[in-house]
Amino acid sequence: MVLTREAIAEGLGKIVACNQIVTDEKVLKESSLDRYRKFEQTHEVYTQPIPAAVVYANSTEEVKKVLMYANEHGINVVPRTGQSAIEGGLETARENSIVLDGSGMNQVIAVDEYNMQVTAQCGVPLQELDDMLREQGLTTGHSPQSKPLAQLGGLVATRSIGQFSTLYGGIEDMVVGMEVIFPNGEVCRIKNIPRRAAGPDIRHIAIGNEGALCFVTEVTLKLFKYQPENNIFLGYTIEDMKQGFDALRGVMAEGFKPSMARLYDAADASLHFDWAEDKNVLIFMAEGPAGITKATAEGIDRIIKGFDGVNEVNPKIIEKWFAGLNWGPEEIAEEKEEILATNNIGITTEVSGCWDCIYEIYESACRRVLEEVPDMTLMGGHSSHSYINGTNMYFVYYYNVVDCPVEEEITKYHNQINRIICEEVIKYGGSIVHHHGLGKARAHYVWEEYGSSFYMLETLKKAFDPNGIMNMGTLIPVNHDEKNPWMF
Amino acid sequence: MRRILGCFKVIPDLELLSEEDWIADDNNLVDTSFVKSTWNVFDESALELMLRLSEQSESLNEPFSMDAVTIGDKISEKYLKTLHALGIDQAVRIECRESIQFSPEIVSGLLTEYIRQKGKQDIIVMGTKTADGSSGKVPQLTAEKLGYPCVTQVIAIEPMEQNNIKITNITDTGLCIQTICPPCVLAVGEAPGTCLSVPTLKARMNTKAKPVEVYTAGQLLKGNLSDIQKETVLTELTAVDEKRCGKVICDGSLEEQIEILYQSYLKGKV
Repeated sequence: MVLTREAIAEGLGKIVACNQIVTDEKVLKESSLDRYRKFEQTHEVYTQPIPAAVVYANSTEEVKKVLMYANEHGINVVPRTGQSAIEGGLETARENSIVLDGSGMNQVIAVDEYNMQVTAQCGVPLQELDDMLREQGLTTGHSPQSKPLAQLGGLVATRSIGQFSTLYGGIEDMVVGMEVIFPNGEVCRIKNIPRRAAGPDIRHIAIGNEGALCFVTEVTLKLFKYQPENNIFLGYTIEDMKQGFDALRGVMAEGFKPSMARLYDAADASLHFDWAEDKNVLIFMAEGPAGITKATAEGIDRIIKGFDGVNEVNPKIIEKWFAGLNWGPEEIAEEKEEILATNNIGITTEVSGCWDCIYEIYESACRRVLEEVPDMTLMGGHSSHSYINGTNMYFVYYYNVVDCPVEEEITKYHNQINRIICEEVIKYGGSIVHHHGLGKARAHYVWEEYGSSFYMLETLKKAFDPNGIMNMGTLIPVNHDEKNPWMF
Repeated sequence: MRRILGCFKVIPDLELLSEEDWIADDNNLVDTSFVKSTWNVFDESALELMLRLSEQSESLNEPFSMDAVTIGDKISEKYLKTLHALGIDQAVRIECRESIQFSPEIVSGLLTEYIRQKGKQDIIVMGTKTADGSSGKVPQLTAEKLGYPCVTQVIAIEPMEQNNIKITNITDTGLCIQTICPPCVLAVGEAPGTCLSVPTLKARMNTKAKPVEVYTAGQLLKGNLSDIQKETVLTELTAVDEKRCGKVICDGSLEEQIEILYQSYLKGKV
């Protein structure tokens, strides 16, 4: 029997205190979406099914009981912490869902400096944790642009990556152990060890599950020495974008490990740097012990200057620019005002590919978007996370919303651009998602993304969430139009 | 056709400066060379109001031609190109190599000479002040030199018949709505919802070849910049302590602390 909104709230009231359950209409509407529907969010137009309640859990036990309750009654549960999601992962795909919020579980449990690891609950804000660690000369090494907003549970659940990933890796390289809870109430603790070969690495069932398999309640991350006094910044302009990718490849293939390695195309660079003058921009940062940063910077400088059309820029410019890159509540409020005033909206889509196809992905996606989508005011992007075998592409695009009701913006513009990017990435053999998660929007391309390995994902879903109550529509869509996958 | 001129300044994005960057050198200048530039926010509003006025005027069959002028370096041309793509007819940059950040007399002098020499304007709009100089004098001084009336703290401009315009501005006693017969200078203040429109890439491509006119200060002024009489001289720059006074409530339980907060601060305010 399908429970009513009132019955769900009543049932939840038997699990947690009344003040942990929010049924205020405005909160429920705001909890029905995330920043994927930024235009709707800005205009306070809500097109998604409205949840029954937002539940603020304070303990593992409460998360367990709420999940079991939802599992028993077939109620969709959307796990969340810092609410910085931008791919639809927090949309409530079903009427009367439960939004299970872990932001109240915000205790740092242990800073273990000897074993170089920190254990914290899912609701610990990354900014607070890292600021606290830095005062002790330590860092998690994880610094996504959403750092002022994001919390640990969400970062792990979305397989987040930070701006210093080229040295420290993504969150998957940092997570040592964790506690997760499955919809049947099973609480699983994965112990903290440096490495093991006892079968499959089960951390990866939880890392990147996007709330579609389990709820992450506790995380243990690696720690690193924080030595900003040794940081060295490098910046260059480079005439040709393909050469820019080759320059990045050169740095990685030669075995250098800068913490940051970025390539901006001219369009994206124009948003950040006056001095770029319609050229592409390369940026590096070397981090770590002084001897290593010096050698890293010298090596990178030598490699980059070996390419044609390269000009060096003042490193101080790069250092100062980087200090102001993160996004917090103030920037979001400012952006909202600008969208309302101009109807101009900026969005990003991040993908990845091996060195032999990333330029083609970049070039063909940009070209097609400009040819096929109206009212574009900017189309470009940057690479910000490089690996030995390839890199990511972070498409950045802006468009004016013209002659279009708020609720139709998503299908006229955003979903179309997403579709083009996904099609081009699939065509060239890259991945349609680098670090934001599939969410609900790009979930519509999950079959193309996974190919024959979709069997493994589907089996995981069926095994751990047999009733399908965990974040319906995320990872695997619930309503899918095969001919028009952007219509949802 | 009536003419409207938007005057604007491109400034360093001061929000990107950290506290430690606010160090004045021997010439009383703060090094902002490493931060990105941006529109001066009041000028941005002025330009947007100009665009809207022009668009609305077309329905009255009394269109405006729109020009834009800035005093700045080569970086300003990127902004003028944006204005071209938004429909500005003539985009002008006045090159001035000397620092005029705190010299409203020179800024207004250059603007006045440009207007006198390059063609009469019916309406001149600009921001009430800039974020970096912040003298708030340029609109009034320009109006005085041209002999035009000046309306300050403007937040809306609408076209009316018979070449008049309706101005809404903020005064000490509230909103003032008045009908004005140009010529006039309008100093735009905090006008809500007036971020500058964003041109499409197609519009940028279509206007890419349109040239920016460049004049030097020397071409516009007969004498030297130093001949212009300054009413004020910058002698020192010191940081303003903007910390708000506060009190940390430590004593008692959480409930008691909330009660203290309510009684001592919130009561009567919420």
